[in-house]
Amino acid sequence: MHFVIISGAARTQSQSNTAKIIAAFCEGLHNGGNTSEIWYLSDRKQWKSAMTAFEENENILFALPLYVENVPGITLEFLAGLSAKERPGTRISFLLQGGFPEISQGRCCEEFLKTLPAQLGCGYGGTFIKGDMFGLSLLGKKMEAKLLQPFIEIGRQFGENGAFRQETIEAFSIPEYLSERQIRMSNGPLRYVQRLVMQYFAKRLGCRTKLDAKPFCGKELQETQEETR
Amino acid sequence: MRLLIINTLPKVHPLAEKAICCLTEKASECMTFYTEDMRITPCIGCNACWLKTPGICAVKDDYEQILKAYLQYDVTLFISDTALGFVDYKMKHVIDRILPMATMYTRIENGQTRHVPRYNKEFRFGLLYAGKGNQDYLSYWVSRFCLNFHGISLGAVPIEAWEEVCACIS
Repeated sequence: MHFVIISGAARTQSQSNTAKIIAAFCEGLHNGGNTSEIWYLSDRKQWKSAMTAFEENENILFALPLYVENVPGITLEFLAGLSAKERPGTRISFLLQGGFPEISQGRCCEEFLKTLPAQLGCGYGGTFIKGDMFGLSLLGKKMEAKLLQPFIEIGRQFGENGAFRQETIEAFSIPEYLSERQIRMSNGPLRYVQRLVMQYFAKRLGCRTKLDAKPFCGKELQETQEETR
Repeated sequence: MRLLIINTLPKVHPLAEKAICCLTEKASECMTFYTEDMRITPCIGCNACWLKTPGICAVKDDYEQILKAYLQYDVTLFISDTALGFVDYKMKHVIDRILPMATMYTRIENGQTRHVPRYNKEFRFGLLYAGKGNQDYLSYWVSRFCLNFHGISLGAVPIEAWEEVCACIS
């Protein structure tokens, strides 16, 4: 089968976690004898070709990050520009990734994604949600390879029938919620570790203030208030 | 009640005009942003507002004044068109850019991970929408979005029924 993969990520391809996930996913997809073409919506010059690819192909996968409980604005802009297909036979699937560890954080977006294929004259091939992806680009090559490894198998299984099977979702799209123990750890000692790790990464990126700085408090905000009155 | 309105519909939209006019009268203080007059570009997902310049968006356009206004007003009412049953992309661009209001740090509240808020402020967000929106879904989405910003949802209401939000602002 030939697949059209459309990345709905706003980050440029070289900086994008979604792009890395797509690359691993395609490795598995291609191992099964499938072919693919990938379009990146972060590059507006690719939109016209992506729309044509959507119109002319029957196996479509949108890969995207979770942005404020739904798809990123640019993905929504692209989707709104698509015309509903008149001829049946196209199937749309979604690969949704987010920074929070729980899969339940993606359910609100999934509810919306489920409605899209029918609105675009297509069938629904399921939504695969993966969490805990925030650190993909921050944690170094070794951890990156570990985090991406499952996507090779997910891609292989997806390629077998062009849709996300329930077994794939149950095996890899976990956990729905953190366990009591994980919650105790996260709100306890890991909270301080997380702060130190984040501060380390921030410093490496050139951050010169506290991560919980309040830039719009105090004098600057008061001045703005006076200007707007 | 101090009211902030962010309108992504055209200024001449008759229902939005009427709603804004009446809501402005009911609020003790009101400010309206008409985004068609503003340059608001999409969030580029760079995470600078969390990790490089905490609280400050790296995209330099007209959005910063909206960020400051969230902190100055008691209630924020978004007025949006709809597409595919959801808010349209213009409103989603506005909402996506709210990330600097949260910090990078997380903690688990009621069983789910949440960002630690940057400011000591209880936001109140509501949505008035034009067109064929799915009200149940939009209300669900606003409530979820409020959860992650430690806010209170005023729900989503079709713009024809704007009077329903009056009780929340008077």
